[in-house]
Amino acid sequence: MESEEIKIGVYVCHCGINIGSTVDVEQVRDSVSELPNVSISRDFKYMCSDPGQALIRKDIEERGLNRVVVAACSPRMHEPTFRKTIQQAGLNPYCVEIANIREQCSWVHEDKADATDKAVKLVCSAVAKASLLEPLEEKEVEIAPRALVIGAGIAGIQASLDIADAGFQVYLVEREPSIGGHMAQLDKTFPTLDCSACIMTPKMVEVERHPNIELLTYSKVIEVGGYIGNFNVKVKKKPRYINMDRCTGCGLCAEACRLKGRITSEFDVGMGKRSASYIPFPYAVPSKYTIDAEHCLFLTKGKCGKSPACKDACTADAVEFEQKEEIVELDIGTIVVATGFDLFDATEKPEYGYGLYDNVLSGLEFERLVSSSGPTQGKIAIGGKDPKDVVFVQCVGSRDKSVGNEYCSRVCCMYTAKQAYLIHEKLPDARLTIFYIDIRAFGKGFEEFYDRVREEGVRYIRGNVSEIIKKGDRLLVMAEDTLLGEPIDVEADLVVLATGIVPRADVRELMNLLKISQSPDGFLLEAHPKLRPVDTASDGIYIAGCCQGPKDIPDTVAQAKGAASSAMTKMSQGKVKVEAIIASVDPFICRGCGRCVEACEYGAPELQEAEPGILVSEVNDSLCKGCGACAVACPCRAISMKHFKNEQIFSQIEAVI
Amino acid sequence: MSLEEIIKDTKAYYCLGCGVCTSSCPVARVIPSFSPRLLVEKALFGFGDEIISDKDLWSCLICGRCASRCPSGVDYLNFVREMRMEALSKGKEGLLAHDGILNTIMELQSLNLKQDRNFWITDDLEVADAGEYFYFVGCLPYFDLVFGEGGLCDVGIRSIERARNTVRILNKIGIKPVVSNNERCCGHDLLWNGDLEGFKRLAELNLKTIKESGAKKVICVCPEGYVTLKRDYPRFLGEQDIEVIQLCQILADELREGKLKFLENASVDYKKVTFHDPCSLGRIAEIYEEPREIISSIPGIELVEMERNRVDAVCCGTSGWVNCSGCSKKIQTERLKEAEETGADALITACPKCEIHLNCAKYNADLKIRIKDITDLVAESLA
Ligand SMILES: Cc1cc2nc3c(=O)[nH]c(=O)nc-3n(C[C@H](O)[C@H](O)[C@H](O)COP(=O)(O)OP(=O)(O)OC[C@H]3O[C@@H](n4cnc5c(N)ncnc54)[C@H](O)[C@@H]3O)c2cc1C
Ligand code: SF4
Ligand code: SF4
Ligand code: SF4
Ligand code: SF4
Repeated sequence: MESEEIKIGVYVCHCGINIGSTVDVEQVRDSVSELPNVSISRDFKYMCSDPGQALIRKDIEERGLNRVVVAACSPRMHEPTFRKTIQQAGLNPYCVEIANIREQCSWVHEDKADATDKAVKLVCSAVAKASLLEPLEEKEVEIAPRALVIGAGIAGIQASLDIADAGFQVYLVEREPSIGGHMAQLDKTFPTLDCSACIMTPKMVEVERHPNIELLTYSKVIEVGGYIGNFNVKVKKKPRYINMDRCTGCGLCAEACRLKGRITSEFDVGMGKRSASYIPFPYAVPSKYTIDAEHCLFLTKGKCGKSPACKDACTADAVEFEQKEEIVELDIGTIVVATGFDLFDATEKPEYGYGLYDNVLSGLEFERLVSSSGPTQGKIAIGGKDPKDVVFVQCVGSRDKSVGNEYCSRVCCMYTAKQAYLIHEKLPDARLTIFYIDIRAFGKGFEEFYDRVREEGVRYIRGNVSEIIKKGDRLLVMAEDTLLGEPIDVEADLVVLATGIVPRADVRELMNLLKISQSPDGFLLEAHPKLRPVDTASDGIYIAGCCQGPKDIPDTVAQAKGAASSAMTKMSQGKVKVEAIIASVDPFICRGCGRCVEACEYGAPELQEAEPGILVSEVNDSLCKGCGACAVACPCRAISMKHFKNEQIFSQIEAVI
Repeated sequence: MSLEEIIKDTKAYYCLGCGVCTSSCPVARVIPSFSPRLLVEKALFGFGDEIISDKDLWSCLICGRCASRCPSGVDYLNFVREMRMEALSKGKEGLLAHDGILNTIMELQSLNLKQDRNFWITDDLEVADAGEYFYFVGCLPYFDLVFGEGGLCDVGIRSIERARNTVRILNKIGIKPVVSNNERCCGHDLLWNGDLEGFKRLAELNLKTIKESGAKKVICVCPEGYVTLKRDYPRFLGEQDIEVIQLCQILADELREGKLKFLENASVDYKKVTFHDPCSLGRIAEIYEEPREIISSIPGIELVEMERNRVDAVCCGTSGWVNCSGCSKKIQTERLKEAEETGADALITACPKCEIHLNCAKYNADLKIRIKDITDLVAESLA
């Protein structure tokens, strides 16, 4: 191998006119043809096309090329393509080097002579590196046929069902006592007005019954180590203080609880009350009670009357105050993140009086208010009376730079239309006004639904609300009717704010745990906005639902199915190639200082005792992502990155200066 | 600046046309033809000439209510300022209040003149020519000429007493401030009325005076002076090696450290008061809690809030001594009524201009509420 003569083929692409119009491709081809080791240089209209690739393969076979340089677009797109091309012709896939003369040259320059000059330099630099390229070996690892799904809203539920149906084991982790997420809190759903609970309960029950799904509710993922195919995951199960096998869900404990009706119900977003022993909502899954350790008298004060009322009341002897938290360890092949969203906190817009006036509600509070399973059994009454005037305010916390959210929440236009419709059904005489900036009715059946709502006499006024103040026991909603160009004040008995969707407050914690990133809007970042919408930058970790960005239920379900399918594809392949471009430590130079261990985000380097008293770093090939952080941190230059060795990079620099 | 440059500089192109600005604007609520949204839209359509010929360009109070709520981050205040610069360059200006005497006083100060602005310093006050702290007195020595006893428009106030009270308070907490006869108007009004050059002349003179005194810390009482020195001097004249502090910040710090003590039963005159956030102190400088902490810790006083407080507070109705009109009066009257509805027997403010404007509105009107400045209140309550 060492003595092998290096023979390089250089292929310069026109990329139609993308490169060709700014760079003189023929001149580039000719200027590099005499460089050391170059045995052939050619140009072609589209190198990535089939004939373009065939050209390379033919030269390899006929001329015995053993290194290839392609001067074309960014390696991000086509490096994998050309690696395959040369592999098909019998070369090691790492023997190709890409010179990016499109993004880094033709697209960003105007002067043809200068651009051509720069392109020549970039190709020279790639040729220099190609002479020093070494074949690399791609290792394969097995993928455990088990998926972890984090979050059990509709996204997590759908993804779990799909993966489980395909025959893989699923661990579904949900931090609340029940699965369901936000969809369980909704009353009816736009645009078809099906009842949320009715379409969701069957899926929730299926999750519980599915032989391939293990449900871990009231639980949190606390540690994720390893890599695609072999993630080592630790899940913390909080004690429910109720034996899940014995509990029949009868609710006698909650009836007896000394704190009955005194604790704010999270599920009813503060509008209803519960006991310390509780089930979040009637059709919760699992249908078992939980004792809330934050409030329970016995658990906080060590004493609840003479003896805990719930324990006395339970005929199944299910209350177990001695329960401790449990750590479950799992070996996982792929992970789907489906942790959903938080609702925008409307107190960030003090001008709307949310939190100050009882009759200013958030969108989610209104969902609970109209829901027949809600705190008022669906009766909309304000101060005991039917509201006569109801005003809706759109874009609260969305499309609003003053609170740092530039994006559109994509659901509030439609849920506002739906909510107005629901009031109209219950209180046909109520006057309904919706203030909006734009109506975004982009989905299937949305525009038609918007029409239907207006047919019922709901008044849409174009202009958003500036402030809401009190007027007697009613509210005064102030805005400008921007179509008439006149200020307008509307009196209301009830105001519903179309509060938007924001990233989970603890999204950073999750990002650190899984080593995934977020986009500028704060939601989790997909690997490519168009072509890899459910992948993340970490192999084997996929995202679905509102954790990736605001979306409605149809889009959430579609994305969940996408994420499930990506996870299943990997698991059914059974094996995956791991990165070949990784760090390697020269054990002779390494002083065992451990700076690489601190620098690595992925826990790949580890100090080992090579000889008594001598520590040397060793990099775990499967964990290393090839990011190079360790090589930079190493003070002795003991670490080099395969494919980006110092001498390879210096040769590139020398070639351009 | 060309219209395109103004649009770019103030990000007017982001406007969604939502109308939140117009609906938030106290002026638009009184004059329906006045609309910040429409001005922005006209700019985007290229109707710059129409904007600068409209005398309502000068009705904007620079109160910032619109900009603080604009979902698109349009910098409306600088939009108006830059439009006014354009208008001035074409020889157009607003309707000057009081025949322009206050504007003349400001312009005169930007020239090389000799003032007698320290006439108010009495023997009991300890002031210095050089030292660590510079007390920026601002326009107080001139206000009483117009609004004080025997002034052109006597509204029954004694602004200069504010300067004396400030020094009394500072002396009490161990500060002997520099007070300079060479100080000038801070330039706030010239800047926001579109006279950038006049503003810069004043700013340069003031910076020179402050630096010559050796002071590193400048204490402002007037909120407009505070934001001008703190925000606008660095913006238009480069970073300065001085710290600018508003008196309420010092007082709140002293209070928290237990160094500021009030008389037992200090307030006999005022039992229940409400606080009016001056635009510059509140929305612009975001100093909301300090004045409230100070007022609430005076024994015998209860602080109650108006419906529209802090970031939602409403302007005192006129600014820059231009376009003071019936519209201003209506804004002021409504604000005073809002204060009366709280059941307070006094409205406390922290800006000498608010004090002047609100007092003026009470003239010949059926408004009982008294108006009191926070600095005076503190000085009178100190142990
Ligand atoms: C007021 C309102 C009305 C709406 N109305 C409609 C409608 O009519 N029609 C429609 O199509 N859409 C509607 N939507 C949108 C709909 O709610 C969402 O599309 C949907 O709920 C998204 O589901 P999800 O699973 O992505 O997130 P979520 O429902 O938020 O579920 C996420 C789950 O993950 C759990 N979780 C979070 N973090 C962790 C963690 N670290 N570990 C474990 N578990 C975790 C949560 O507890 C939750 O159960 C509405 C939204 C709102 C706010
Ligand atoms: S009383 Fe016992 S069985 Fe019934 S819900 Fe409570 S814990 Fe479960
Ligand atoms: S969906 Fe409608 S209401 Fe919601 S942010 Fe987008 S435009 Fe505003
Ligand atoms: S700054 Fe104040 S007065 Fe001027 S347009 Fe905005 S809200 Fe109106
Ligand atoms: S508030 Fe902002 S976005 Fe809305 S109309 Fe006014 S300038 Fe435009």
